[in-house]
Amino acid sequence: MARLIRCIADNVVSPLGLDSRSNYDSVKAGKSGLARYEFMGNITTPFVLSRMDRGVIDALCGKLGIKGNYTFFEKFLLCSSVQAVRESGIDASSERVLFIVSTTKGNTSLLGQPQDGVADERVLLGKAAHEVSRFFGNPNSPLVVCNACISGVCAQIEAMRALRSGRYDYAVVIGADEQSPFIISGFLSFKAISDEPCRPFDKERKGLNLGECAATVVLEASDEIKGGWELVCGAIRNDANHISGPSRTGEGSYLALMEVLKECRREELAFVNVHGTATAYNDEMESIALYRAGLIDVPVTGLKGYYGHTMGAAGIMESILSMYAVRDNTVLATGGYREQGVTYPVSVSSEVRVCNGSEFIKLLSGFGGSNAALLYRFVE
Amino acid sequence: MEEMILKLKQEIIEVLNLEDIKPEDIDNDAPLFGEGLGLDSIDALELIVLMEKNYGIKLQDPAKGKEIFKSINVMADYIQKNRTR
Amino acid sequence: MERRGLDYVVLNQGYVSVNGRVIEHEATGNALLTELYRNHIADWPKFFKMDTLSKAGFVASELLLKETGERRLDGEEFTSGCAIVLFGATASLCADRNYQETIRDKDNYYPSPALFVYTLPNIVTGEIAIRNHWRGETSFYVLEAPDAVQMAFHLACAFQNKTTESILAGWVDSSRNDDFQAFMTVIRREDAADTDWLAGQLKQMINILNNK
Repeated sequence: MARLIRCIADNVVSPLGLDSRSNYDSVKAGKSGLARYEFMGNITTPFVLSRMDRGVIDALCGKLGIKGNYTFFEKFLLCSSVQAVRESGIDASSERVLFIVSTTKGNTSLLGQPQDGVADERVLLGKAAHEVSRFFGNPNSPLVVCNACISGVCAQIEAMRALRSGRYDYAVVIGADEQSPFIISGFLSFKAISDEPCRPFDKERKGLNLGECAATVVLEASDEIKGGWELVCGAIRNDANHISGPSRTGEGSYLALMEVLKECRREELAFVNVHGTATAYNDEMESIALYRAGLIDVPVTGLKGYYGHTMGAAGIMESILSMYAVRDNTVLATGGYREQGVTYPVSVSSEVRVCNGSEFIKLLSGFGGSNAALLYRFVE
Repeated sequence: MEEMILKLKQEIIEVLNLEDIKPEDIDNDAPLFGEGLGLDSIDALELIVLMEKNYGIKLQDPAKGKEIFKSINVMADYIQKNRTR
Repeated sequence: MERRGLDYVVLNQGYVSVNGRVIEHEATGNALLTELYRNHIADWPKFFKMDTLSKAGFVASELLLKETGERRLDGEEFTSGCAIVLFGATASLCADRNYQETIRDKDNYYPSPALFVYTLPNIVTGEIAIRNHWRGETSFYVLEAPDAVQMAFHLACAFQNKTTESILAGWVDSSRNDDFQAFMTVIRREDAADTDWLAGQLKQMINILNNK
């Protein structure tokens, strides 16, 4: 019998809150973590960023009993995962538990700024992830998903597959990224960063904001789900077009959407939580993909106006907030949006809307021509 | 100007890794983008860096690059008029 | 009946073989990749723009796909049936170091977009997908070290997606411009059904890579 995949615990640590509930409430109330910075490191171009207060993370580490010589990135992963694992009640030291980390750049800031007591090799993503699984006493070698901006969705898909295979009973899926001058300068060189709060799908959008977040879902393989969230399916597809520019026809996103729509009960689809970075190309591409997939009338919502682009965390945090929204019969407002600015007028709004339905789709796309979608369903 | 155009071509070949192309292969009036050299959006961004690094010209709006990178002649002309180093 | 082994390519800075047949070459280090490109590929100038990780992955994929006769499309034709799943330990460390150089010095601060784009290790999967017109799944996973059992497990998992008919799979690492290690193979659905057999095949490739 096919095993069902259930989400049994979740956590979001961000400038908007230290657990999922407070994050959801903040976003619903329209709060944003975005702020303008005039410089950072050698960067002298202004940019807008949602930055996690290091002091808050250190204090949270103290409260959660996270001691040891960790980098900010590792502390960030631990602060989120320790809370989610505690909530789940699982024994994370069991060999039946798999740890999956979703990140794009991990400890890369160590290249520019080495840290006392932290070995240089921790710049390797596998070594950083091992610090986390070791903290929990987990004997398995952790898997790191490094698929650019779609990593958080890919990590959940891989967890789903690993659980379905029968080899594991639980997967702890953690995503995070540290926004160091390394990443910020790179996106600035791409002229992709706005010096104002980003405006997804808006006519006046002028680029993305980056953001910091750590998010965790604990997934369980079970024979039956009653009163819980099921991760139904997911798909990853490549545009095969260009390594940085999205496909003009939204090819990969369209294919990924079509794949998850096979399992979707359309009358139950509450909304699509899009990538919505507020770059000219991304939002246009997504609108084309949604149109081609027949989703032009389905409510669409994006969270970058509250968090910025949180990279490794995005797919996980945005899935978690979508779960809370569906349970609250709510389509969250797309922060920063005012006036339709894409060719195909998708159903996006600056206001909180009411919705019905028990399913949502999470959509992401990223460098390398990568696109991914997944489908969650609440089972009564 | 002749000398500057040759230097600019060499710089472009170097930063864009146009391994099999020689300065004389690049027509001074032919479009840099589209057909021909096979340049893409990342190359355009890299040319913006080249202008700043080698000639002290800061280009904030990448859309402006479209006009400036029309051809070698247009680009050389723009550099000549706006260079600060 | 004894099953036929998987086709494979092994490549590092001083060695290259296809199904165990050593390919003669003169250069070593990064120049070896250029030599292999010129002698065996030659029709993809984008190669010269790639970072070392992508060059190594691209060359390995080209040598392998020529051997296996895998579906390689062009023009308006695309397929979603061919997936690309690569593993590595260093991920984009080589590109990270090169990009870091462009932002390290305040007085010589010129962040390079062409270098930055390669600071994502999944770009190599994108390069191969673009070359072959494959719109299937592309994934890059990071492990602490090559582990045949773990790789075989995740590759078998990838076939849970019913659209996936075959996977171009392998290991690609590069921590410096003149230092790279890769092996690559093509796995079909039936190959992944026996995960132990698959792990055994991968183990052989890892051993060759480690001994060269």
